Amino acid sequence: MARSRSSRRSLLAGSIMFAPYLILLLLFGIWPIIQATITSIGPSIVNPAGGLQNFADVVADVRFLPALMNVVVFLLLYVPIMIIVVSVMSLLLDTVQGRWNLPLRLTYIVPASMTGATAVLIWYFMLEPSLSPYQSALHALGITQGNQIWRQGGLAWIFVAMAFFVGAGNWIVVQYGSLQSISEDVLEAARIDGANAWQIGWRIKLPLIRKYLVYMGILVFAAGLQVFVEPQLISGSVYTGIAKDWSLNQLSYDLAFQSNNLAGSAALSLMLLVVCIIAAIVVIFRTDFFEGTGVGKK
Amino acid sequence: MKRLAVALVAVVAVGVALTGCSSGAPSSSGKPSILIWADTPRIPQATEYQKEMKGKVDVKIETIAQADAQTKISLANRAKKGWPDIIFGAPADTAQFKDPSNGYAADLTKLVSKKIFDGFGEGNSDCLYDGKYYCLKNDLANTVLWYNTKIFAQLGLTVPTTMQEFADTAMKLKGTGFSAGAYGDQLYYAAFLQSSECPLADLTAANTVRIAPGDSKCTRVAKTIQPLLDAGVIDKRSPFDAGFIKDVAAQDKVAMTIGPSWWGDFVIRPQASWNVPAGEIAAANMPAWGTGKDNKSGAYGGGVFTVSSHSKFPQAAADAAVWMTTSNWMATAATTPTFPAYGPANKLWEARISKDAYYANNVYTAMAAGANNISQVDRPVRFPFNAQFGATLSADINNGKSLSVALDDYAKSIQGLAPQSGYKVVTK
Repeated sequence: MARSRSSRRSLLAGSIMFAPYLILLLLFGIWPIIQATITSIGPSIVNPAGGLQNFADVVADVRFLPALMNVVVFLLLYVPIMIIVVSVMSLLLDTVQGRWNLPLRLTYIVPASMTGATAVLIWYFMLEPSLSPYQSALHALGITQGNQIWRQGGLAWIFVAMAFFVGAGNWIVVQYGSLQSISEDVLEAARIDGANAWQIGWRIKLPLIRKYLVYMGILVFAAGLQVFVEPQLISGSVYTGIAKDWSLNQLSYDLAFQSNNLAGSAALSLMLLVVCIIAAIVVIFRTDFFEGTGVGKK
Repeated sequence: MKRLAVALVAVVAVGVALTGCSSGAPSSSGKPSILIWADTPRIPQATEYQKEMKGKVDVKIETIAQADAQTKISLANRAKKGWPDIIFGAPADTAQFKDPSNGYAADLTKLVSKKIFDGFGEGNSDCLYDGKYYCLKNDLANTVLWYNTKIFAQLGLTVPTTMQEFADTAMKLKGTGFSAGAYGDQLYYAAFLQSSECPLADLTAANTVRIAPGDSKCTRVAKTIQPLLDAGVIDKRSPFDAGFIKDVAAQDKVAMTIGPSWWGDFVIRPQASWNVPAGEIAAANMPAWGTGKDNKSGAYGGGVFTVSSHSKFPQAAADAAVWMTTSNWMATAATTPTFPAYGPANKLWEARISKDAYYANNVYTAMAAGANNISQVDRPVRFPFNAQFGATLSADINNGKSLSVALDDYAKSIQGLAPQSGYKVVTK
């Protein structure tokens, strides 16, 4: 009896604690998805009959394939760079204990305080050969004109750089935090067994924080798939339109507000959502994401 | 994170808009109340109207970015409330707003007197759809020939009056270090393709658009201009390109350029831009492609006021749009930067610009000559006609592709986009 009462009480406590999240999830997650689903099969300017044809219309749109390719290239660059650099930097940060650790952590976070819009301006300034403080470096690389930088072939790299510097610092500090959760006993044992710093990093620390890296990978992938601010703002500045409909999210935005096609826009957004969910499910179930706490596992 | 950032920007923007709103007159029952959405340069006009109407009409003003006009009206359409009574935007916005799928734009034919429409003359033709007016044009941005009298005198050049003469004159600049302008953006369209009447948004029926880059009016452009690009006497960069400004324009090396009427005050003159010294710059009539009526101008910019079909006070709203585009105050205010589309107003505006000592001649003459002569072959359309320049046409030109390839790429892209906005496309 006592046991079932305590389990009922913990169920109640759990429900109370979960409720705020559930309410937000319903209001700002589930309900918009339902709305989008209804909108996506409604009538559109190109397809007055509505229905699933809207999805086919979006895929057949001349802007769809180029935007998809851009986003794929962006993700192929962005996700691995984020994971590798963040892992390496947080491992290095973890080895620097003592008085330099705190200033270093601060330094990593500073670039992240620039939001997308500011970052775009700063990068424009840095990369424009006639304005850049690194003019001589750019000239040494043979870049003397803005249009050698701001051309369609290389935009993915620029957007990756922008997104990387906005996002990486935070993640380095977060992963440093997860490295802190590794028990000193484990590291001590490794050291006694003769592991050097490289082996400890590669064979002990990284496997132990793997699930946090997986978690980061999912979020970074989702953010990358929805890349919007960087190309949208660049397109609105000096090189007007250069990255117009560059990403799928921009296409979704333009479908809604320029092509007067909310149904198509909703259809595209749902497609992005499905890709995100599938990617998350695959990654979660291919790893031990939900098993134990990893570090303390016996 | 990005969505969050966008949401935050939106919240701030709404906050700014609300602050603007709260400065408006308090609304009271009985008298009409209207809401104006306009971009920053139009705010002094709107504020003056608010003052003049005090006690008669409650005028509220909200600042929006011109580029957001369609987005914001789409959102209001979705919410089925919150429309402004009049909005400032591009002519292409009105093309969208008057479509039944949007339905925002009111037919002004009956709300605005014939005298006003007559005063506009050709100036309001962007707003004309099937014999009805759906907006009022604020300003005209027709292209003229801007030239530097000092450089022309130094090289012994005469002012070209035809495109062939323009090309010949430009060729004489070869090796002198002077330039005949940079055209690697929308200007290539406005200066050459549109003035040549190349059919790229030619509405042959209400929802049929002719996009025909193979037309002789298009091919003659590349034939005339490509040699200038190859010879380096015109620049493949954008006239706003930081490199072009630094290396050429700000060195006072632009001997001549085709550009819209607002360029004198906003591109050529400002210190932070081309910074050409006073007393050098003059304007001449737009060079003609051919004889007779083959002498059209292009246009780069030029906004319109559209009135809401949802307005509770349609007459008060239409009157506001009329005042914003035709008033003497607007025409004479130092804050009114651009060439008014309304004939009587631009006559008043003339008084200011024609006396401006910065210019070497009376630039108004050339502006006025082209104002009622803007090509009407391409019409405002619902697909992103202008925005697509940057994605294809100017990107190609900047990257050194040939002008005919650049035009073909552009035409192909809008041929693909037009059906998405409900147009049938004709390519021949």
